[in-house]
Amino acid sequence: MSTVVRRDVFQAIADPNRRKIIELLSRKPLTLNAIAEEFRISRPAVSQQIKHLTECGIVQVEQVGRQRYCVIKPQSLVPAFLWLEQYQKQWESRIDSFEKYVIQLKSKK
Amino acid sequence: MSNQDDKKKRTLSITKVIDAPVQLVWDAWTNPDHVIKWWAPPGMKIDVIEHDFRVGGKWKYSMPMPDGNLFVSEGTYLEIESQKKIVTTADFKPMTEGVELHVLFEANGAQTNFTFSVVHKTEDYAKAQEKMGFYNGWGSAFKRMEAVIKSNSK
Repeated sequence: MSTVVRRDVFQAIADPNRRKIIELLSRKPLTLNAIAEEFRISRPAVSQQIKHLTECGIVQVEQVGRQRYCVIKPQSLVPAFLWLEQYQKQWESRIDSFEKYVIQLKSKK
Repeated sequence: MSNQDDKKKRTLSITKVIDAPVQLVWDAWTNPDHVIKWWAPPGMKIDVIEHDFRVGGKWKYSMPMPDGNLFVSEGTYLEIESQKKIVTTADFKPMTEGVELHVLFEANGAQTNFTFSVVHKTEDYAKAQEKMGFYNGWGSAFKRMEAVIKSNSK
C-alpha cells in the first residue's frame, strides 16, 4: 500500500458519519452511490468523508468494471484496537498483582 | 446521552472479591512499602518519590524503563475514607493524562469487595470502545490478524 498515512485513526473514527461508513463497509464493499443512499447528508459530504477515510488508509477505492467500490482495509484499524486491548490488560495485570500480593501478605500473618 | 451513561463509557472498571480482610487490602494499597511490591509490572521496579496520603496530598512513582527513560506516574488525592474509598487524580505521562482513579473497598466477612476504576476525562477511551463495537462483527478474522501482527513484531 503506497498511501502515506497522514491522518490519525482515532481522529477518523471520532466522527459518527465516518463510523457509520466503516460499519457499512465492514459488511461488504459498496459504491459511493450505495453509501450515499444510506445517509441523509449530501453526496458531496459523503464523498468528503470517504476521502478522509482513504487518506488515513482505512478505506481504499477499487475499480471493478465501470464501478468504483469502497473497500475497507481492516489492518489500518489495528493500532487503535491494540491500544485499547493492551491498555486494559495493563490495568488488569496490575490489579492481579495486587491481589496476589495481598494473598501472600495474608499467608505471612 | 445522560451524564451517567457518558461516565460509564469513559470508565475502565475491574471488580474483584479478594480473599483477605479489608484492613489488609487497605494497607497493601496505601502503604508505600507495600505499593512498591505490586505496582510495577513483573520484572520492573518503582521508586516512591512522594506519598503524602491525605486529601490534597500528592503521590509520585517513578519507574526506570529499559531504554533508560523514567516513566513517571503521579497524582493528587481527592477523597480518602479509611477502608472504604480513595479517589485520586492520575497522570501517566505521556500515555494517559488527566484520569481519575476510584478505588472502593467493602468488608465482606473475611473477604473484601474491591472495585478499581479509571475514569477518563478525554473521549479517547470511549472512542476506542465504540470502535470495538464494530470489530465484534469481524470476530475471528481480527483475532487471527492480531496474532500475526504480534508474531511479526517479535
